Amino acid sequence: MSMSFDFLPNEKHKGATKLLPWVMAIMVYLSALSAAGSLLLHSGFDDWASSLQGKVTVQITGEDAAVIKEQAVEIQQLLRRVPGILSVRIIPDNEIVALLEPWLGAGNITDDLPIPVMIDLETEPDVYINLDALEIKLKQITDTVYLDDHAQWLKHFYNLTYTVEYTALGILVMILMASICIVIFGTKSSMSEHKNTIEIMHLMGAQDQMIAGAYQRRFMNYGLKGGAYGLVLSFITLFGLSKLVQNLASGLVEMPTFPYLTLSILFIFPLLFAALSMLTARITVMRELGRML
Amino acid sequence: MELHYDQSYGLKGKIECRIKDTGLVEFRNVSMGYDKGHDVLSDISFKLETGSMHFLTGPSGSGKTSLLKLMYLAHRPNSGEIMMFGQDVANAAREDLPKLRRRIGVVFQDFRLLDHLSAVENVALPLRIAGGKGPQINEHVEELLSWVGLDERMLANPSALSGGEKQRVAIARAVIRRPDILLADEPTGNVDPEMSERLMYLFVELNKLGTTIVIATHDNKLVEKIGAPRLHLEKGQLLHIQGSKKKFTDYEGPR
Repeated sequence: MSMSFDFLPNEKHKGATKLLPWVMAIMVYLSALSAAGSLLLHSGFDDWASSLQGKVTVQITGEDAAVIKEQAVEIQQLLRRVPGILSVRIIPDNEIVALLEPWLGAGNITDDLPIPVMIDLETEPDVYINLDALEIKLKQITDTVYLDDHAQWLKHFYNLTYTVEYTALGILVMILMASICIVIFGTKSSMSEHKNTIEIMHLMGAQDQMIAGAYQRRFMNYGLKGGAYGLVLSFITLFGLSKLVQNLASGLVEMPTFPYLTLSILFIFPLLFAALSMLTARITVMRELGRML
Repeated sequence: MELHYDQSYGLKGKIECRIKDTGLVEFRNVSMGYDKGHDVLSDISFKLETGSMHFLTGPSGSGKTSLLKLMYLAHRPNSGEIMMFGQDVANAAREDLPKLRRRIGVVFQDFRLLDHLSAVENVALPLRIAGGKGPQINEHVEELLSWVGLDERMLANPSALSGGEKQRVAIARAVIRRPDILLADEPTGNVDPEMSERLMYLFVELNKLGTTIVIATHDNKLVEKIGAPRLHLEKGQLLHIQGSKKKFTDYEGPR
């Protein structure tokens, strides 16, 4: 039988691995931020995509405001007769002005500015409407009418989201690989530092598993301790950033709600890094000991 | 001092001489060298009976430590066979070595105590390696440390101990599990003559309990005083084995 126990000297104040918890803290911090960025973007995409689900915007442009308003009423009547359209609402001028004010500045929107008429359509979720055919029909009223179901914009946003997500995943993998390398280096340094202790343990009949056990326990603790520090720091950073972004974006774009519940998945990082450190230390020690008699 | 080893660990009550028939050591034409250098031991052959006590003598560089290293399985020979515990340990599988090593006690010339552990913890190591735990271990360890005269120094770390005290801790660590073979490399090299005799008496007592003992030493006076048989090495060759191979029981300790 070979029980494992901690025979290694304390490395809290000196030793090859005393800084390892802090390195782990940084690694977990970077991983958590990377994952949180990806999760936030994903959540934002879902929010925006679902808010645009079943929404179609009709835009009528023209130089003469009176003419396009008459055309808008005619188009509104036509749209109300189309099966599958739940509601048709001409957006009032004051709402359009409110939308434009953050971009153009309050009081800069004068009467001579050619503001298009916008009509919001709400469609039934399960009914297919051929928007291309509908646009052709509307163009019989005026050539300057356009239908937008936001698909193009969502497609670009979708591509951006997934590119960022895969990039974040790549960064995460690189951080994990770097962490593995650091643990290997730390383990080897520590073994070299405690060579005498390990030799003596061996000569007294300690099995490799016993020596590896002491190391894996120590490195697991480093991973857990550093991971906890890194996670706390990352949550502080994310909270600060969320406040900053909400203040900055106020009035320009509707920001998605901060998905705190989703972000609870970040709690897995300290455990992941602890498990990774433990396993890496064990494999490294077993391999190194395998070279000894 | 009366000693008794029970089946598991430690010392209790009266002397009980229980000689195991597993302590036999036999070297057959063993040669050994480090890396690709020349052989430091050549064509060594000898046989140690179970429960015997021998001195390993010879000038510096004659190969005494190397011979001990072969015996405590820290090195493999370049050629030849080493029979211990009824098997050829020179060619034993690596995973079998820990079990074999647990049957061998070693007192190193430089003690090789773990500096971050107290005397008690150092001596307890072999027991903990063997899976022992709890207060029972400490009881045995404290008893043995008292026996070697370190009652007052149990909690001291090696850095706070004198050479003689360290040596006694090292000896206690080597014998705590009652090994079949005890190997000591210059165990009296760092202590005064009086302490040398006391330590030697300790070895003799252990030998009386049935432990096969090999002590490497330069101290010819001590060898003559104790009178145990000798393995003499010169330039890596075993020149002669003096005296009886019988178990040593004559020495009565320092007077």
